[in-house]
Amino acid sequence: MIWATWRMERSLYLVAGAVLAVIAVLLVLAGAHQEAAWTTFSNLHCSQPGASSGCMSAADSYYSASRFSATGVVIGFLAPGLLGLVVGAPIVAKEIGQSTNRLAWTQSITRTRWLVLKLSVGALATAVLVGALTPVFQWWTGAAQRGDRIVPSNFDISGLVPVAYALFAFMLGALLGALVRRTGWAFALGVPLFGAFRFLERTYVRSGLVPPVYTSTAQLSPSNNWVLNQGYLPLGQSSPGHGITWQSESVASCTNPGVGKAVHSVHHCESLLRLHYVVQMQPGNHYWTLQLAEAGVFVAAACVLCVLTIVAVGRWRT
Amino acid sequence: MSTTPALEAMGLGKRYGHTWGLRDCSFEIPPGRIAALVGPNGSGKSTLLRMAVGITRPTAGQVRVFGHSPAEQAEEVLRRIGYLDQERPLYRSFKVAEMLRFGDKLNPGWDSATARQYLADLNIPVESRVGNLSGGQQAQVALTMCLAKRPELLLLDEPVAALDPLARETLMQILLRAVVEDGTTVLLSSHAIADIAMVCDYVIILSASRVSLADDIDYVLASHRLLVGGREAIAPAGTDVIAATHAERQTNLLVRVEEPINDGPWRVEEPTLEEIVIAYLRRAEAEGTLSFDDPGAASGTSVHGHAPR
Repeated sequence: MIWATWRMERSLYLVAGAVLAVIAVLLVLAGAHQEAAWTTFSNLHCSQPGASSGCMSAADSYYSASRFSATGVVIGFLAPGLLGLVVGAPIVAKEIGQSTNRLAWTQSITRTRWLVLKLSVGALATAVLVGALTPVFQWWTGAAQRGDRIVPSNFDISGLVPVAYALFAFMLGALLGALVRRTGWAFALGVPLFGAFRFLERTYVRSGLVPPVYTSTAQLSPSNNWVLNQGYLPLGQSSPGHGITWQSESVASCTNPGVGKAVHSVHHCESLLRLHYVVQMQPGNHYWTLQLAEAGVFVAAACVLCVLTIVAVGRWRT
Repeated sequence: MSTTPALEAMGLGKRYGHTWGLRDCSFEIPPGRIAALVGPNGSGKSTLLRMAVGITRPTAGQVRVFGHSPAEQAEEVLRRIGYLDQERPLYRSFKVAEMLRFGDKLNPGWDSATARQYLADLNIPVESRVGNLSGGQQAQVALTMCLAKRPELLLLDEPVAALDPLARETLMQILLRAVVEDGTTVLLSSHAIADIAMVCDYVIILSASRVSLADDIDYVLASHRLLVGGREAIAPAGTDVIAATHAERQTNLLVRVEEPINDGPWRVEEPTLEEIVIAYLRRAEAEGTLSFDDPGAASGTSVHGHAPR
């Protein structure tokens, strides 16, 4: 049965694999090019006094090498979801569209077993395809995006989450296919639904999946942090909550009180108002914890969709 | 001794929106029969077969396959059934050999040798892609898939529809062999009543979404007579007139009889199965027309026994 499932979807997996391979090659070429340009530029020590005259052209070639960066981020952003939907939407819908469900559902195995096998093989293939591309993106975000993996634009395309997004999209495609019974419609509905779920999770859920860290500017490390909020809190308070809120406006009216009034320095205002500057953030060392938590959210959602698909197909009798 | 019927329908009905595709359908097919399901297009033949195999859910009543419900005991039903859908669905991108492998993987009782033998007899190369075969060849591959499953009950929706006369003959022989060798029960729907008369021993007539007759063909033939008489002749007592055709000087009645007709103004002839089937279909059509076109007449002389107010 695993053979039969594989045989049915084989050509789709091969095409998807070929497209992903092309993306991987593009990323490797662009990333290597960019990496080389960066190395050349940093070897010139351009920030030091009396820097080489080649600094200008080296900087130019680094920036021209980064032209693919934005495209790469967009591809990394779209690929897992689109691949999941493309592979998931026909799982049930194509069989119903070609009436082959009447063949498959009248062999000796129950349609629930048939569906579980199809979903398992499809989910595995999706995970393998996206999973194979993820290390390439992982390397590329390091090479081309210069670190900062915790920042949303890089977080989304590296680590475990692309595989989890793809599995979610796959199950979403399968469920929509089972409900609307048209591959094209399932895909067309899946894109906005998947996008909405991703957007809502990214905007409202991700930052709280792992308790964020509050720190004063003095301790803030220079890079690889995802800053969620920053502002002034009363001295002795390291985080907002329990009636304590960000008080950035009072500092702003102190430093810049308006026409004709004395202007104070930030430092003076801080001590005057008994406030200190606090940054709320997900630091770089939360990367894997946050990756695991977010992957967990999407895999759990995928499981729910999987169960709904099985129920929908089990109940379906024209 | 009571044996579980191979297929049993009890008040089975299926409604599509406001119209009934099949209604009040009750019959039993004892094991080992080759039953024919006949009726005009749209009379609910495919719906009945799909409900028996569990693809379609009944709106009313029940259907049992060897005593099992297709909806609740799917596994018990599926491994006993070989089902040929009207559309002969196959995976068109598969080679014929891959279709057979598919059958092998999904059916514990798969008979690979028989399947290959059938296809060899039919001159269908197993290395061809299913999508490249002709419609008739695809139908034969689909049928081979059903037979190789070695089912106890074969449900075949128009198995001979796309076949040439020679292939029809071959198919009928294959069916007969399966029945004789394995004791398989067959229910096949068809428009070719001549073919049915050749192999079937049981007939179910569906018309206007209802069962008009379900019985052994031998009994059906024995219990119907064609009466030829003058225009003024009255049907003998104890007979049920199925169809009457009037010519200028004579009347032909097809009647259902309980006991032999010996006297009276009638010349008594034995009708063919085809004549009986057509008589039932005509009657159903006439009743349908009556109730649709002339509601007054329908309520006055109610066919389905509505109580007068």
